[in-house]
Amino acid sequence: MHFATLASQLFIGLSRGMIFFIVSAGLTLIFGVLRITNFAHGVLYMLGAFIAFSISTLFGQGPYGFWLALLVAPIAVMLISLVIERGLLRFIYNRDHLLQMLLTYSLVLIAGDLVKIIWGTEFKSMDIPGVLRGSFDLWGASLPLYNVFLLIVGPVVALGLWLFLSKTHLGKICRATATDREMVDILGINSTRVFAMVFALGGWLAGLGGALIAPTTTISMGMDANIIIYAFLIVVIGGLGNVWGALISSIIMGIGEAFGILFIPGIAIIIPYIIAGVLLIVKPSGLLKSAW
Amino acid sequence: MVGKKKSLNIIRLGSTLLITALLASGCAKTPAVDPAQKAIKVGIIDTYTGGAAVYAKDSLDGFKLAVKESAAKGGPTIEFVTRDDEFKPDKSTSWSKELVMNEKVDFLAGTTNSAGSLAVSQYAKENKVPFIDWGGMSDKVTGSAGHRYVFSTIPNTAVIGKAGAVQLSKTTFKKVWVAGSDYEYGHSVINNLWTNLKTIKPDVEKAGETWWRVGETDFTPYINAIRSAKPDVLVVGTGGADMVAFMKAVKATGLAQEIPVWAHTSYDPATLRPLGDQAPEGVMGTNPYLSNYPDTAENKAFVEAFKKEYNREPAAFALYGYMGGEFLSQAIKKAGSTDKEKIIDAMEGLTIDTPVGKATLRKEDHQVAIPMSYGVIAKVNGIFAAKDLHTLSPEEIMPSVDAILKSRSK
Repeated sequence: MHFATLASQLFIGLSRGMIFFIVSAGLTLIFGVLRITNFAHGVLYMLGAFIAFSISTLFGQGPYGFWLALLVAPIAVMLISLVIERGLLRFIYNRDHLLQMLLTYSLVLIAGDLVKIIWGTEFKSMDIPGVLRGSFDLWGASLPLYNVFLLIVGPVVALGLWLFLSKTHLGKICRATATDREMVDILGINSTRVFAMVFALGGWLAGLGGALIAPTTTISMGMDANIIIYAFLIVVIGGLGNVWGALISSIIMGIGEAFGILFIPGIAIIIPYIIAGVLLIVKPSGLLKSAW
Repeated sequence: MVGKKKSLNIIRLGSTLLITALLASGCAKTPAVDPAQKAIKVGIIDTYTGGAAVYAKDSLDGFKLAVKESAAKGGPTIEFVTRDDEFKPDKSTSWSKELVMNEKVDFLAGTTNSAGSLAVSQYAKENKVPFIDWGGMSDKVTGSAGHRYVFSTIPNTAVIGKAGAVQLSKTTFKKVWVAGSDYEYGHSVINNLWTNLKTIKPDVEKAGETWWRVGETDFTPYINAIRSAKPDVLVVGTGGADMVAFMKAVKATGLAQEIPVWAHTSYDPATLRPLGDQAPEGVMGTNPYLSNYPDTAENKAFVEAFKKEYNREPAAFALYGYMGGEFLSQAIKKAGSTDKEKIIDAMEGLTIDTPVGKATLRKEDHQVAIPMSYGVIAKVNGIFAAKDLHTLSPEEIMPSVDAILKSRSK
């Protein structure tokens, strides 16, 4: 095996991990702070992709459309998340987990039909802007420029999250709520407002993930079911509610899958589960400390 | 108290039964009977909701057009009802029962879901109700699981695989890498293609294989891995949303410039339209139907009629539904009877004129034999379309009858 092939596969795996991280960071935040198993997280990701497609189409699939879509689609998804949180989720925080799952799962079914009504069933595709097309030469092997772009966006998002969680007042409250919700309540902090903000932030991240993946693939119904499996695996491996755990396990998952595809392509479909299985046998509580 | 509750329950049960009976009698209203010839009623089971709805809509519209044209020409009267199976095979079976028992349909038709086609086919066999498959592409339907009561007006994976093998056998490629979506369609196309290619051209060798899950969004790691193995050609068995996503990744990685790629329906409008200006030039493929190929008067007339009726161009599934209606109508005429068994006898080996030329429902396996085109994706007048189109004759691409009958006797 050529060194160049290994290197390019490594970078492709890393960029795949970046999308995983952006989506699962939102899910794990919601897990940690709201203690909700949000099945609808994949839906938010799908909506991000569809909204990005609509914005991009509005601008004739040109370069401005792409950048605007990247900016606006996550915000639109964030607003939708706020509506979901204020309108539905806040009534079930103290209820049974089963009920929370039922509610978020019903959102998945409703959103699936809504997407079909609004956007129709035909496959959608969004253009990659000119500057991000083509490939980057990596010692003879090639790396698509869009993957390089993802390799830049991922760390920027991670850095932003780190600054938010460790340097801002709200971020500190988030972490405190994840560690000990009762104590936060006793201190007189309005935890429902924190919940709303965290859910909106989670939605923004899911929407960003969807908008970022949109130009590289087919935008179609069923995208949600696909990503949610990865996101749950990653969140569980990383330690429930731990954003840095999600980052580490996203990278392991992305690179692990890329090398699995390279060396054992016949069984590529089960590689994520092998990775998850091995990691959970080695460390059943998750790689980093779980917030639960 | 207890006694009162019981009598209330009995009243409730009684009224429920009454309502059910009323509804049932309403549904099973006797159709208007023509003294000379009664109308044939077709029960269509297909996926009218969800991602596959686009195919079901096309085939239904094609069928409706055939029925309308047949009636206008004074042909037999064909009525139909539709049911949505939501892409679930168990629903296909229960709708089959409902249609035959309540709606008293004479024929069943549909279903885009291959597993659904096999389920309806099983019901058709057990209850001796003929079933026309115009949506399920599994080679099992008219292959190993075939029987007297099932017909297929859609080229199945055995035909697709053989067509691909014939096209690739005309090239000099030796090291073949096969890849596809890890489900029935993907594996079936690739298996059929590989077995046929190995027979026609024994010196080919399989360099490796890759299988991705249905709904994969990121194809770059797969393509990078295949590229590093440097095969002569990459043969892909995938469809639907995966097809578009895969082609997009082929373009983004520039794979087609390095390694030739083959995929069935690569230049179909359903693939090219969403790709816009990101279609990969030079990708080879086969296709059963295009609205501009074959460039014949018959096809033009069909496209015109379809456009007039539904205000859009017919896609391949519109042709499959249309052929289903045409075969049925002509078989009734040929049989001179509305007796199901006599219609089946008339359908066996029936040849009709279609937009793609002569089509025959083979007597032995009930599989439709139509030609197929092969070509490459290229920029034609500024937009991506099919180029260098040639026709593969039905004789070249139909699987051998002997092999099919052998697989059935197993």
